[in-house]
Amino acid sequence: VEEESGQELGLDRSTPKDFHFYHMDLHDSEDRLQLFPEENTRMRKEVVQAEMANESRGAGDGKAQRDLQEEVDELVHLYGLEDDHELRDEFVDENMPRTGVSEYPPYVMKRRDPAREQRDWRPSGETAEAEDLGFGGWGSAGQCQDLREAYRYTHGRASEEYECYVIPEEEDEEEAADVFCVTCKTPIRAFQKVFDEHKEHEVIPLNEALESAKDEIHKNMYKLEKQIIQMENFANHLEEVFITVEENFGKQEQNFESHYNEILETLAQKYEEKIQALGEKKKEKLEALYGQLVSCGENLDTCKELMETIEEMCHEEKVDFIKLGKFLKAKTDVEISAQPEFEDQTLDFSDVEQLMGSINTIPAPSAPVINPQAPNSATGSSVRVCWSLYSDDTVESYQLSYRPVQDSSPGKDQAAFTVTVKETYCSVTNLVPNTQYEFWVTAHNRAGPSPSSEHAVYMTAPSPPIIKTKEIRSCEEAVLICWESGNLNPVDSYTVELTQAESPEASGVTESVVGIPTCESLVQLQPGRSYIICVRALNTGGPSVRSEPATVHTIGSYFRLNKDTCHPWLIISEDGLTVVRSERRIPARELSSSDTRFTRCVAVMGNLIPVRGHHYWEVEVDEHLDYTVGVAFEDVTKQEDLGANCLSWCMRHTFASSRHRYEFLHNRTTPDIRITVPPKKIGILLDYENSKLSFFNVDLSQHLYTFSCQLHEFVHPCFSLETPGCLKVHNGISMPKHVTFY
Amino acid sequence: MALTQISSNKCFGGLQKVFEHDSVELNCKMKFAAYLPPKAETEKCPALYWLSGLTSTEQNFISKSGYHQAASERGLAVIAPDTSPRGCNIKGEDESWDFGTGAGFYVDTTEDPWKTNYRMYSYVMEELPQLINASFLVDPQRMSICGHSMGDHGVLICALKNPGNYKSVSAFAPIWKAYDATRSQLDILIDQGKDDQFLLGGQLLPDNFIAACTEKKIPIVFRLQEGYEHSYYFIATFITDHIRHHAKYLNAWKTPNKRISSGL
Repeated sequence: VEEESGQELGLDRSTPKDFHFYHMDLHDSEDRLQLFPEENTRMRKEVVQAEMANESRGAGDGKAQRDLQEEVDELVHLYGLEDDHELRDEFVDENMPRTGVSEYPPYVMKRRDPAREQRDWRPSGETAEAEDLGFGGWGSAGQCQDLREAYRYTHGRASEEYECYVIPEEEDEEEAADVFCVTCKTPIRAFQKVFDEHKEHEVIPLNEALESAKDEIHKNMYKLEKQIIQMENFANHLEEVFITVEENFGKQEQNFESHYNEILETLAQKYEEKIQALGEKKKEKLEALYGQLVSCGENLDTCKELMETIEEMCHEEKVDFIKLGKFLKAKTDVEISAQPEFEDQTLDFSDVEQLMGSINTIPAPSAPVINPQAPNSATGSSVRVCWSLYSDDTVESYQLSYRPVQDSSPGKDQAAFTVTVKETYCSVTNLVPNTQYEFWVTAHNRAGPSPSSEHAVYMTAPSPPIIKTKEIRSCEEAVLICWESGNLNPVDSYTVELTQAESPEASGVTESVVGIPTCESLVQLQPGRSYIICVRALNTGGPSVRSEPATVHTIGSYFRLNKDTCHPWLIISEDGLTVVRSERRIPARELSSSDTRFTRCVAVMGNLIPVRGHHYWEVEVDEHLDYTVGVAFEDVTKQEDLGANCLSWCMRHTFASSRHRYEFLHNRTTPDIRITVPPKKIGILLDYENSKLSFFNVDLSQHLYTFSCQLHEFVHPCFSLETPGCLKVHNGISMPKHVTFY
Repeated sequence: MALTQISSNKCFGGLQKVFEHDSVELNCKMKFAAYLPPKAETEKCPALYWLSGLTSTEQNFISKSGYHQAASERGLAVIAPDTSPRGCNIKGEDESWDFGTGAGFYVDTTEDPWKTNYRMYSYVMEELPQLINASFLVDPQRMSICGHSMGDHGVLICALKNPGNYKSVSAFAPIWKAYDATRSQLDILIDQGKDDQFLLGGQLLPDNFIAACTEKKIPIVFRLQEGYEHSYYFIATFITDHIRHHAKYLNAWKTPNKRISSGL
C-alpha cells in the first residue's frame, strides 16, 4: 500500500514512466463519474473526520446512536448511496453498539474520486489517532462478514472502473489541431509549427499521437489491473492475519481467565480453610479457658466458704484451728491452662505464589506430529523431514533430533544429532546413503520444551549402482547388463534407463525398466542403434542418482571371453577378446577337475547373450596354429576336448607336415572335407531359429560348412588352442551379405 | 536360329521347357532344357549352366535332380544342354559309352571324322549362351556353371580357361586331371560321393586336384559324402547346396527364409 501525496492523475498528460498507484476505494458500490468540485471534497473530508471522532466518542450511548444515524444518512447522501439499501443497513448495523464486545466503529474505506483527486490511503481517521484507537477496528466477526461482502462488490467492479475513464478533453480551440508536438506534448495546428515556439520541436501526425496515447493508456490499464489484483490479494491476506490475531488473542484471554480463576479459587479455598482453622483453634482455646475459669470460680467459691467458716470459727474460739492448716495447704491451681497468645501461624501461600507467578507464563507447547517420509523426497545424502503442530500453542523453535536406526542391540544408544529450526521442515544433510534414520522433534517456547513427537523413520536414497561394463553382452535385439549394487545393504529394486544415442535430447525419450529385483537385466532393443544405459537403485527414500552410463551398439553380437572357464595355460587379454597360449605351462598333474574351468582341453568359452535369433562373430587365426572354434553348451564337460561330445560343435584345424587338415566335429565325428585355401579369419554364424551353425572363410566370402544342431538350450562360443599361439575374437559385426544366404 | 519348343511344364511356379534348334557349331539338331523361374516373367535372371555327365541327355538333370524348387526360390534360370551331338551318323560314335555319343567331353575335337560335329566346347562356350541370351530374359553378365562327372570336366575347362566369364563354379564328382589351371578367384564347391565307383576305381583323382589347387591357391571346398555314389540320387541330395552357392555369387537375392535382419 503506497502513500501518495499530491499526485495528479491525468492519463493523457502523465508520462507513462511515472505511473503511480491509483487510489481505489474498494468499498465502492456504484460507478460514479461525477467530478466533485474542490470545495465539496474539502468539506467532505472534514465531515468524515468529524464523523470518526464522533463515533469513537459517542459509541455506547443512546445519543450516539441517533447521531450516528444522522451521520450515516449524510454519508449515504454524499456518496450517492441512496439507492443502495443493503449497504445502508450494513452501516446502521455496524454502528449499533454491542454489549461487552469492543465498541469500535466500523472501518469505512472512503470512496475515491476518479479524476484529479487524491487522498491518504491510510484510514481517514489518522488525525483522530490522538483519540486512541480512532481508526476503525474490526469489532466482531459479524462486521468482518459485512466487510467481506463489501469487498465483493468491488472485485467485479475494479476492472470496470477504469473503462469509464474519460480522457478529459482539451480546451476547445477555434480550429482543430492536426499535428502533435512531441516536445511540448500538445496538439497544435500544422501551421503553428512554423512559429517560433514550435519551430525546433519534433512533430508527429495527430493520429499517431493518439495511437501512442492509446497504447499508453492500455499499458496503464494493464498495470492498473495488476495492481488491483495485488491489492485484493493483500486485502485477503490482511483478513487472514486479522482473523488469526483475533483468535490468538481470544485464546490468550481465555487462558488468562481460567488461570486467574484458578488463582481466585485457590485463594478462596485457602481463606475458608484458614478461617475454619482459626475458628476451631479459637473454640478450642476458649473452651479450655472457660473450663479453667469455671473451675477457678468453683475454687474461689470453695475458698470463700472456707474463709467464712474460718471467720466463724475464729469468733467461736473453737479448737478446729489446727485442722485449717490442712486446707490451706491445698494449693490452688492458678496456672492458666491455655496460652492466650497465638502461635505463629504463617499461612502457606507458596502455591498461590506459584500460580501467580505462572499466570504470566504461556504453557509449554504440545507435542508436534512428525510426518511420514514423502516418497521420492530423499537423496543419497539427505532427507527432508516435515512435521506439523496440531495445536495453537506458541512455538519459538523446533528441535529435530536424529540418529541412525539401531540394529536391535539395545545396549548402548548411539548419540543423537540435533538441529534447531524455526520452520516445520528441515533438510538434513551429510547422511549415509541407503540408511534408515529415526527422527523425532520437540517444540520449544519460553516455557520449555514440548513432549517429544513419535519417532519416525526416514531413509536416505541409495548410492548409484556401478554397471559392470566389461560383462555387457548384447546382440541385435537385446542386451544383458549386470551391475554391482553400489550399496552395502540391500535396496528395494533397480531401474534401468535407456536413451537412444543418436537422438539424445531431440526426442528426449528415455525408456525405463522398473522393479528389477536382481543386479542384472535382459532388455529388448532395436537393431542397428546405439543406446546409452544407466541404472538406478531404489528404496523407500527414493531413487539414487544415475549410475555412470554404458553404451551399447546393437550391431552384431557382442561378448567377451569368460575368465572363469579359461584353462590355466591360457591368458585372456584385458579387453576379453584375445586368448593366448604361451610355451610355458603348469604341469598337467596339478590341475584339478572342475565344473566351470577347462582342465584337459586348453579352451575357453565366451559369454554369449542368452537370446535366440542369430549371432555372428569372427575369429582371427594363424595358418600354422592348431585350433578349434565353435559353440558348446554351458555345462559341456570341461574334461573333454571340444567336439568330442554331443554338447559341442566345432571346426578344428590341424597343421601337420605342411598340410592343413580341417574337421567339423560333433560327438567325435566329422565329415570328410578338404579346404584348399586355409582361412585366416573364420566367420561363425549361430542360427537358433534354423538350428544351424555355419563356418565361413571371411576373406573369400567362402562358405565352409554348416552343422544342423538341435539347440535345446543356449550355447556359448568356445575356442581352444592345441599349440601355442593366439586367437583374436572380433564381434559386434553385422552379418556380411554372403552369410545371409545360409 | 529358330527355336522349336518341344515341351513346357510348370514346375514350382516356373516353367521347365525343352527346345530344339539347328546348331551351327555341331552341324546337327540339338536339344537343350531351360528352366525359367517365376521371376523371369518380369526381370532378367542370372543363368546357371548345367553340364551333364557321360551318357546323359538334356532330360536326366531336369527329371532326376529335383533342383526346381531351389532354382525357383532363388530366381535362377537353369540351362542344361545335351552332352554331345546326336544323329550325326559318324562311324564308331555309338561304340563305347565314354566316347562319342553322349561323351562329348566338352572339347573341340581336332581330328576327322569328329571335328565337324564334335565341337562341344565352342557350343557350350559360345553358341549356346548367345542363343540363350537372345531368346530369354537372362542376364548375360551373370552366368555360372555347374556339372556332373564329365560335365565337371567341361565346367573346369570353361571356367578356368575363361576367368571372369562365370561368376561361380561347382561340381559333382568331377573327373579331374591335373590342370594347368590359372589362378582363379572362383570359390568352387565340389561334392563327391564316397562310394562312387569311379572314385573307388581310381578314375576320379580328387587328391591330386586338391593338391594342385591348394598350391595354386584356388579356393575349393571339397566334400566327400559318406555313402553316396555317382548317380542322380547323389546329385539330388546336394543340388540345393550348389544352387545356393551359385545364387550367392549371382546375387540372387530372393532367399526363402526371412533371416535377414533389417539392419543390413
